[in-house]
Amino acid sequence: MILSLDYVIETKELTKIYRSEGKEVLAVDHLNLNVEGSSILGLLGPNGAGKTTFIMMLTGLTLPTSGSAKVLGYDIVKESKEIRKKVGLLPEGFGFYDHLTAPQNLEYIAALNDIPKAERAKRIDEALSLVGLQDVKERKVGGFSRGIKQRLGIAQALLKNPELLIFDEPTIGLDPEGARAFKDLVIRLHKEGKTVILSTHLLFEVGPLCHSVVVMNRGRAIVQGKVKDLVEKLMAEEGYRIRFEGKGNLEAFAEGLRKLKEVKEVRLETNGISLIASGDISVQIGRLAPTYGVEVSTLRVEEPTLEDLFMKYYRKEGISIG
Amino acid sequence: MFTVASKEFSDIVRGKRFLILVIVFGLVMAMAVASVYLRVVQAAQQAGGIAMPRGFLGLAAYNLITTMSYFAPIIGLALGCDAISGEREKGTLKITLAQPVFRDTVINGKFLAAFMAISLAIIIASIADIGGSVLTLGITPTIDDIARLLLFMLFSILFAMTYYGLSAFLSTVSKRTTQSVIISVMLWAVFTFVIPIIATLVAFSLTPPSVRPFQNVTRPFQNATSRQEYERLIEAMRRQSAIIETIQSVTPNYHFNRVAQYVLQAYAGIRIGAGGIGAGGVAQGQAGTRNVSILESLIFAWPNILVLTVATIITFIASYIVFIRQEIR
Repeated sequence: MILSLDYVIETKELTKIYRSEGKEVLAVDHLNLNVEGSSILGLLGPNGAGKTTFIMMLTGLTLPTSGSAKVLGYDIVKESKEIRKKVGLLPEGFGFYDHLTAPQNLEYIAALNDIPKAERAKRIDEALSLVGLQDVKERKVGGFSRGIKQRLGIAQALLKNPELLIFDEPTIGLDPEGARAFKDLVIRLHKEGKTVILSTHLLFEVGPLCHSVVVMNRGRAIVQGKVKDLVEKLMAEEGYRIRFEGKGNLEAFAEGLRKLKEVKEVRLETNGISLIASGDISVQIGRLAPTYGVEVSTLRVEEPTLEDLFMKYYRKEGISIG
Repeated sequence: MFTVASKEFSDIVRGKRFLILVIVFGLVMAMAVASVYLRVVQAAQQAGGIAMPRGFLGLAAYNLITTMSYFAPIIGLALGCDAISGEREKGTLKITLAQPVFRDTVINGKFLAAFMAISLAIIIASIADIGGSVLTLGITPTIDDIARLLLFMLFSILFAMTYYGLSAFLSTVSKRTTQSVIISVMLWAVFTFVIPIIATLVAFSLTPPSVRPFQNVTRPFQNATSRQEYERLIEAMRRQSAIIETIQSVTPNYHFNRVAQYVLQAYAGIRIGAGGIGAGGVAQGQAGTRNVSILESLIFAWPNILVLTVATIITFIASYIVFIRQEIR
């Protein structure tokens, strides 16, 4: 079904203004966004950027003030129930019924999703196993640690076997092992053809998993696109960082490199040269080196990371980090 | 809706709160039955025979009305005060609403579950009282008694639901459960204790007694002066009573008591005379008094039943509207 849609999420000028005690707070500001199916999207931004409000609108838990959006082809205002049938959501700040066990909580979720009774036990077992909670079935949720509750939250999102999964701050409370297991789970879900949205302010936790990102600040999408495209764009803007080590007349080779039009900056180091170029000139370096009597032993093109990208736009927006 | 309702009902009846309420109420009922039993035994010893004021209902109903007028609001408040705010605080509301359910399903389910739990508690308590009365007093209720008791249970459930609706509404609009609990308890105290006291004070200040104390008149109808005094006193009492009733009519408690008195015949019959119809505690055997049928009782109680029903519906609709429009953040 996803394949028949161009995008699993399409928003047009989606806006949300909260009104409280006579004040207006613009939480989401005319957001235009398209999310392709079978991908992993990182919804990034600092706290208060509007990520959670955006997710709440997508799943029909909060109505937009203006604009429109479709999720899996369904209108978020008129067909929100259909959306929630097919979207597994891990909301931020969720909770479970403490007096019930994990399977009892999931049984209730399954009933709300009209999962046939005959299938429920199997589905619950599967969901608990996927998050590594198969051994805590008898314990009441009230005794669970935050990390275990977070895993149970992930399990409830998986229970309905959704086409689209939205995880809001999924790694909060998870220990390193839990976080790694979560990343593996996301990769597995993607391999199964599902679309996953990871909303977080902890970029380093999930950033490397994402195929595309939307960076939000003050309700606006300050940057969006495929990670690969964004990184290439950043490299084009800021240059390729190339570093190589070698033996020979490095000084003369450095002078020679400075003459190339692609090279912006050359720095001579003890055992090699580092430079910034407008493109990837590693092939040219390899070809020119023998002419200067230099034998290159290692060469590395340092691509900017998602974090560099994130930091660049954060600095541009004047957002303080940490 | 039934998924939410059945889960809520199960949570309520398995919860400690419900168990404690039913146990406390059961103990209060048992004590009330025991005290009636002792009074009957005492009366039997003094007078040489048992004088039953109104057969079975005379004793069992007195217990029921008194105890239910406290129990029904308490159970209603106890179940409603965290109906929405509790779920919001615990974060369970987010998980529930993230599923393919509409918000009206959640609130309808909660009201239905509360209705079932309140009905269960009231039926258990009433049966315990009736059973206790039957066993201790050795009186078998008649078909008419049973029918009246069933109606009384129904209106007790309605009364409890009025309070449930009120506290559920407060729970919906309050940010925190503690806030909702405090306001609910305050409202209950105002309706149960403060308004009756204010009503009495207002009535006495507007129509102060202008005659000598009645007990000093040795033979009130002997001469014209004392007869006039007596009539003035009666008129003053009637005005006071009217003022008290008018002020108290803003409380659900007043309407429940009126319904209960009509339906259970106020454990001593309903007086029908020149002054109209009124519940009378000692009217049995007086001239102009007769028993009224169940249908007549319902006709007399109809305005009060209507007030309780409308109050419950209004609180439900108010909770519903607020909840549907509320932002989930």
